[in-house]
Amino acid sequence: MQNLSELLRRLILAEVEFVLVGGFAAVSHGVTLVTRDVDICCRFSEANLMRIQEAFKDLHPVHRLRPDLPLQLTPEQCVTLKNLYVKTDLGIVDCLGEILGVGGFEKVLKDSIEVTLPFGKCRILAIDALIRAKEAMNRDHDIITVKHLKVIKAQIKS
Amino acid sequence: MSDFASGEEKTSKEVSFSIGSGESKAEFSGIDMSLLEDSLSKTPWERMLANDDALNFAESLRSAMLQHNAKS
Repeated sequence: MQNLSELLRRLILAEVEFVLVGGFAAVSHGVTLVTRDVDICCRFSEANLMRIQEAFKDLHPVHRLRPDLPLQLTPEQCVTLKNLYVKTDLGIVDCLGEILGVGGFEKVLKDSIEVTLPFGKCRILAIDALIRAKEAMNRDHDIITVKHLKVIKAQIKS
Repeated sequence: MSDFASGEEKTSKEVSFSIGSGESKAEFSGIDMSLLEDSLSKTPWERMLANDDALNFAESLRSAMLQHNAKS
């Protein structure tokens, strides 16, 4: 059974440096479309990637595009990675080094807001930046998500 | 929407009036405002938990449908 919320909780408790982006960020803003994975933009340092690995170590994490390969990062791999796609017992976590339409991690961090969750603080891509990111992706479901986000933005303002 | 369903020719002024408000525009775009307002009444964490519930329910429905199709 998938549990995206638990995946997020583990990232926060492991003190991973990340910003929640993608569909789950849209959900947090109020979008009612269901998303099937957790997308994060994170710092691609060896220390941070090892924290991600530690967060999921008991969930049989594998590389999503090569499920035969368990997640066992080495310092050499950490230097070369730009994205990391992980599949766990509780669902998928896609770790991205940059977000199209927004930029690299530092820029994404600047365009994020801090939200307090029951177990700690979480940085989530702000609604304007999320709209830009989704517009840059421009897939059918991103276009629908943008519609929802724009309505939510208008509701918040009114 | 009902203005278009009637089939009558409408002036641009009448069409603008019928989709003038923010809420009417959203319904016209196919967004269920009652669902959205329910979502906005929740905290971000509650929204995430609701996503998980919906996701797992959809998976169970999908699995049930696959079993049904396999039998027939």
